[in-house]
Amino acid sequence: MDIIVCVKWVPDTSEADLAIAGGAKDIKKDDLDHDINDWDRFAVEEAVQIKEKVGGKVTVVSVAPEDAEEMLRESLARGADEAFHLWDDAFEGSDGYAVATILAKFIKDRPFDLILTGTLADDDCSGQVGGMLAAMLGVPNAVLVSSIEFLDRKVKFKKELEGGLYEAVEMDLPAQLSVATGLNEPRFVSIRAVRKVASAEIPVIDCGELGLDESQVGPQGSKIQVEEVAMPPEGEGAEIIGGGAEEAAGRLAEILKEKGGIG
Amino acid sequence: MTLLEPADVPIAGIPAYIVALIILTLALCFFAFVMYRRIDLLRRGMPDPRFSDIGERIKLALVYGFGQYRQPRYLGAGVLHILLFAGFMILSLRSLTLIGLGFSPDFHLPLLTGSAAFAYEVLKDYVVLMVLAVCIICIVRRAVFTPARYDHPGGKGHGSEAYVILGLVSALMITDMVFDGSALKQNGAQGHALFFPAASIGALFMPEKGSQALNYLHIGGYWAHILVFFGLLNFLPISKHFHVITAIPNVFFSNLNKGAIKPVECGVDDWMELPECGVGHFERFTWKHILDFYSCADCGRCSDNCPATTVGRTLSPKMISIKARDFAYEHYPIFGAEKDRSKIQFTGDVVTGDEIWACTTCGACEAECPILIEYIDKIVDMRRYLIDQGDVPQSLQKPMQQIKKKGNAYGGSKAKRAAWTKDLEGVEVRELKKGEAADLLFFVDSCGSFDPRIQEISKSFARILTASGSDFGILGADETDSGNEIRRLGEEGLFEQVCQKNIAAFLERDFKEIVTFDPHAFNTIRNDYPEKFPIVHASQLMARLVRNGRLSFTGDYVQGKVVTYHDPCYLGRHNGIYEDPRFVLGRIPGIRLREMERSRSRSFCCSGGGLLLWYENEQERERMGEVRVKMASEVGAEIVVTACPFCLINLEDAIKTTGNEGKMEVVDLVELVDRSLGTHARE
Amino acid sequence: MTRIFVLAEHRLQKLRDATWEALEAGRKLAADLGGELNCILLTDNAAGMADELAKECPKVLVVEDPKFETFNSDSAMKALAAILSDKAPFMLVMGNSNSMMDLAPGLAVALDAALATDCFAFEVKDGRPAAFRQMYNYKVNAKVSFKGAEKIVVTLRGGAFPFSSGGGAAGAVEKIASPVADEAPRKRFLNYVEAEKGDVDIASADIIVSLGRGIGDEPDMEIFESLADAMGGVLACSRPIVDKNLLPKYHQVGTSGVEVKPKVYLALGISGAFQHVGGIKGAPLIVAVNKDAKAPIFRVAQYGIVGDLNEVVPALEEKIKDLKG
Repeated sequence: MDIIVCVKWVPDTSEADLAIAGGAKDIKKDDLDHDINDWDRFAVEEAVQIKEKVGGKVTVVSVAPEDAEEMLRESLARGADEAFHLWDDAFEGSDGYAVATILAKFIKDRPFDLILTGTLADDDCSGQVGGMLAAMLGVPNAVLVSSIEFLDRKVKFKKELEGGLYEAVEMDLPAQLSVATGLNEPRFVSIRAVRKVASAEIPVIDCGELGLDESQVGPQGSKIQVEEVAMPPEGEGAEIIGGGAEEAAGRLAEILKEKGGIG
Repeated sequence: MTLLEPADVPIAGIPAYIVALIILTLALCFFAFVMYRRIDLLRRGMPDPRFSDIGERIKLALVYGFGQYRQPRYLGAGVLHILLFAGFMILSLRSLTLIGLGFSPDFHLPLLTGSAAFAYEVLKDYVVLMVLAVCIICIVRRAVFTPARYDHPGGKGHGSEAYVILGLVSALMITDMVFDGSALKQNGAQGHALFFPAASIGALFMPEKGSQALNYLHIGGYWAHILVFFGLLNFLPISKHFHVITAIPNVFFSNLNKGAIKPVECGVDDWMELPECGVGHFERFTWKHILDFYSCADCGRCSDNCPATTVGRTLSPKMISIKARDFAYEHYPIFGAEKDRSKIQFTGDVVTGDEIWACTTCGACEAECPILIEYIDKIVDMRRYLIDQGDVPQSLQKPMQQIKKKGNAYGGSKAKRAAWTKDLEGVEVRELKKGEAADLLFFVDSCGSFDPRIQEISKSFARILTASGSDFGILGADETDSGNEIRRLGEEGLFEQVCQKNIAAFLERDFKEIVTFDPHAFNTIRNDYPEKFPIVHASQLMARLVRNGRLSFTGDYVQGKVVTYHDPCYLGRHNGIYEDPRFVLGRIPGIRLREMERSRSRSFCCSGGGLLLWYENEQERERMGEVRVKMASEVGAEIVVTACPFCLINLEDAIKTTGNEGKMEVVDLVELVDRSLGTHARE
Repeated sequence: MTRIFVLAEHRLQKLRDATWEALEAGRKLAADLGGELNCILLTDNAAGMADELAKECPKVLVVEDPKFETFNSDSAMKALAAILSDKAPFMLVMGNSNSMMDLAPGLAVALDAALATDCFAFEVKDGRPAAFRQMYNYKVNAKVSFKGAEKIVVTLRGGAFPFSSGGGAAGAVEKIASPVADEAPRKRFLNYVEAEKGDVDIASADIIVSLGRGIGDEPDMEIFESLADAMGGVLACSRPIVDKNLLPKYHQVGTSGVEVKPKVYLALGISGAFQHVGGIKGAPLIVAVNKDAKAPIFRVAQYGIVGDLNEVVPALEEKIKDLKG
């Protein structure tokens, strides 16, 4: 089973206090630590576990700036066989579509049975790249995959639907699956494990080497554009809903409904 | 007719001395072979230099070995053991004499002649009776009152071996009484009952003086004694009673580096290059750790005191020793080929991950073990292996990653490490830049920097330092997690990183002393860091400031409430600091201090600090902190004082979950001092 | 004139809520962009569903094909690509449900369309639409433009477009021959799997009703269970609840339990201890109900009710049921 795992290097925003950068096109990222997108960590682990079970090769690839090498090396330490680092200054500002374009170009001439990614990236929360990549490569896809098994040239998996319901699905290979967090328990990667792969080469491939034109990547190659970002309005602590239990509950139900709290 | 002596009576036509020689030779050869096999396995263990500080080691052997110093921690069993041990020591001379009597009826040990011999004979006779009595008490105690600590959860027990041994020892005593009793009957004299009570009792059961039967009993008693003696000797190294032989060497070779964790492998330049890191396979234990396994007598005092065992986690320290010894005896047998070990992984299969992660490294087991068996280093070695395999509970992975990325488990950014100093009124906390100097370097550690609750202790301590006119500063952004738990969780590579960062930060600044209120940081900087720095715990510094008259207290805060002091593991057991906190407490007016039953070296761990705050154990029935809070409420405590930020968090939680909110509060000693400062105007 | 297409979603012969919300959003967009509103229904059997849709939408395009008995993103992508390829300029609107997340990205590529997912609002200026969505762990709002694209696909945040009936004249139902009638899908639905109770994965739940010590010593768990059911969420809790064996361990939220990032976190009787709050930092909307007005949870929550859970919870369930209709 040859598996290609696409991973993303994202700022850790889960516990940080965020601030809007000048120009309001993005947040301030200088003070934020970056790490592998949490969902993608599960994807790498899943690929390595599949390899350990049925054999094959795991290739990890990322479209990410220089300092993301750390993430690729950690993926090697986790058990991936090779890693590729796709970067060019022209890639800066790529949306999901442009990133998928870059990845598709890289993968197109490589043999693979399965492409794994995480379902969402914690930075743009779009969940686009997996499905777009699959379409560009002409393979079927699914997201929120919570368990994977193989039968001949087919993959059988469980996909999460809403409200604790799952569907079991069968799909032809090659295929692309975007995994849900929690489908495995990612192993711990120790300092020693990383040191063991310290000398492994991680090729950096730029726009030209991929055979891409600069107009296909970055903002130019993107289909959407972030015009403005803003922090959601936030008061000092909670807005206390007054009135009796009945009245407050009614108001709260409306708020919940409005905010997607009723599924 | 006169009584015949054993040496004079041939057995089945073979002269007695030949029989004695054959028994002696066979028994000693067998014993030597068994010992050789056992020692051979020790030699296959990993190196560990334990031959330094011979003077200190002899002292340990005298105090804990011959002196049985820790035995009375369990008073009843301890006294019985001391009596048995003393009996063994005294009767060893008797045994040697008896062996000699097989060769010559006039055999005696050098110097044991004349009145010395008589005195020894008298002593021996009393000791025989005493040992017999102790054996009977022990058998009854085991069979009828079976203490809970003899239980052996999750493994095979060896309780029956205890009966074998007690039976053999009793047989030794009885055969001695038969041997001497028959002689007394024959040669009997008035008043001997006073000098030779055992022989006299034996004589009561003897047949008529001058009878053939008496002769048979005398000779038979002798040979039975000899056979039982050598049987016992050879039973020791194949049973849990190997400790009779190994305990004193085990104490002699025990760990002198209190508080520290052993290196990954002794005598290795770069452990990172090792094929296996930590202990996965049995031979990866050090020889001393294998000796520990040999030496465990299954007494269960470790597990009886283990907080993990108490709350129902799968860990029971003694079972680690027992399972390891069983594994060793089974896979490295005395006779025959070694068993295939390819399908069984010691760490994981024999001792499970759940057991290994359940340990808080509180050290209660080690503080209790009468023969100083080590557990923490073994646990850490097994964790090192699991870490290397990536097999780490998910709940611990995130905080470890955070330390790797940000230098703290809380996920706060480095730049904000000193943020807690901002809203301190009237107190200035200096961030020492490179090259700057202060008398005291206040090491805040991650909890004091990022945990909102613990920041309160940091602030209190800054106020105390200011109030006492101390010149102090902090490292601020250049401070990194101390690494105490990182090391104890077995991530040695990460520990080396954080400790090197801190060492570099220390070396770049000029200070007389480091002070920290976190016993975990205190412990690792003091005992683990390869570079040594003068360091004191806040309680020590405050005690000194009180003695120097630089701190004075009022009793406004305490108001006569009942206070109990909870000894933090890393302050007390691991570093022996029991008195300074109590001294400071004692100076606060209005305090009514009541000790909990489990205090000082027997303090009960609140479930651990540092990264263990994040650890989630699925087996435990209740939380350690809750057990501890119940102990505090038993002494009627209204304020629980501790001197460790993690104890504070765990106990504060436990007070809520046990419904003691409003009835009991927990404060750090630093906070209590701050609130009781005489010169400090409080709102 | 930009046409608005709304993709209907159904399961077990029933239209799902997301469909109505998409219609609501589509209706507004159609008005703002001055285009026609169409609804597309891919199903094996349109009976009932098509008419239901036609009541709220001027035109319903129906493709009947046995492949669409259950949702199949592979076939749906090909069918929609065929149907929409010559319809530019258009905007395709659908829910951001777990099923549609399979479809939208690939379909955008197949159509060469611009895609914005999980949108919670739209704005139309000078005839050009822009979408509002969230980024960075749902902590930041972003306005996204489509760079003038003539083909746009958007998926909608659940609950962001509450539906209200338009009440207009019934629309037309137009059947279209299945463009994928002869194609074997590369993806095949096998069966539904109900999560066992032990499978409840609070880490990936979108709606969490979480219980804390404030629910009391002997709480009536049923009122909480039925509230969670009504909300379509799962029950979670803080440590004390697990300690009291009211819920199993894997329901525990917090730094020492499971870290969750639901879209909505309803905290009932949770005081908001540091360890607990650490586990819900990923939740964009935290709502708290607690007796104690000073409970720290109110500092991290956006909305709160200070009151007795035994009164508030049943009332809330009732109101929610009312709203769901």
